[in-house]
Amino acid sequence: MLKYRLLTPSNPQKKNMDFKHDILPLKNIIFRTALRIALNREEAEDIVQDTLMKLWERRNELEKVENLEAFALTMARNLAIDRKEKMDNQHVSFDDEEHDRPDEGMGNADNTLMRTETRSFIANTINTLPEKQRTILQLRDIEGKTYKEIAEVLSISESDVKVTLFRARNELKEKILQKKSLFL
Amino acid sequence: MDYKYIEQLLESYFACTTTLQEEQILRSFFSQEDVPGHLAQYADLFNYEASAKEDTLGEDFDERMMALIDSAEQKVEVVEPKTEQAKPRIINLATRHFAPFFKAAAVVAMALTIGRAAEHAIGEQEAEENNNVIAVDPYIKSSDVRQAIRVKDVSQAETKAINDSIISLNAKDEIQ
Repeated sequence: MLKYRLLTPSNPQKKNMDFKHDILPLKNIIFRTALRIALNREEAEDIVQDTLMKLWERRNELEKVENLEAFALTMARNLAIDRKEKMDNQHVSFDDEEHDRPDEGMGNADNTLMRTETRSFIANTINTLPEKQRTILQLRDIEGKTYKEIAEVLSISESDVKVTLFRARNELKEKILQKKSLFL
Repeated sequence: MDYKYIEQLLESYFACTTTLQEEQILRSFFSQEDVPGHLAQYADLFNYEASAKEDTLGEDFDERMMALIDSAEQKVEVVEPKTEQAKPRIINLATRHFAPFFKAAAVVAMALTIGRAAEHAIGEQEAEENNNVIAVDPYIKSSDVRQAIRVKDVSQAETKAINDSIISLNAKDEIQ
């Protein structure tokens, strides 16, 4: 950390980064995105901590970063994917847990039972999508990000974002219609 | 009420041609109490999208995060006293680098002292020679010998003192 700081040429015009003011406010969007990938609250919280810490360590480089939020989300996503790969290698049973966990994470206790049930159906359905699809859906439909921003976070083209989002939304639609037909 | 607009927006939503504003209109529409039957199936989806953003980290997270940042900063501070501890060593290194110069200075001083002693001896000899103009020859000879011994004694004593100081310098270096 210290070494890194010495190697980074200091720009006299730069605005000093303040952790509480510039970095900490990113915690919630990082948390929700990490949770969408990790599907585990504790894991997601660890990812937020690691991401914020890394950002703070690299604060002298951040003045060159145009979109700090996108930069932070890319970092968090890479961390989340790395950790998940490690977890998957360690625990063979992770896939079974994966389907159980979203309930504790995505459910909202203050809703009626019926609503909680259907809401967790949506949450579960989103969480069974491939990682790229559910991350893009998270960034677009929950965080309200533009295609450009999402493309930046995932380091892919905007049309790639659109195609992936199309698949995610239509998979959801299909599952919703299937469920409806089951109840009729 | 005509729901054509909403139906159109829904179609666009699944075709990924809606703008962020239009998607927000859909979420607002489905957040109302009575959504018509044929659209109700999508209410959960848009309500979930709207509510999921409220999932946030608690105050305790901030406390833990700030503690982490503080401890990371302290680690940096811990490194600094170490460099301060190294400072006396830097002075030692300087002494070590200057040691050869001290030695050289001692040699120069030694040479100068010997030179001066010799000069002094010659001067005394000359003076004695002048004094001994009237003196008998054998005395001159013996005083010459004595003077030579004196010169030798002085230079030997000085050389010993200088050598001692060099030895002590070397010893100091070894200790360091």
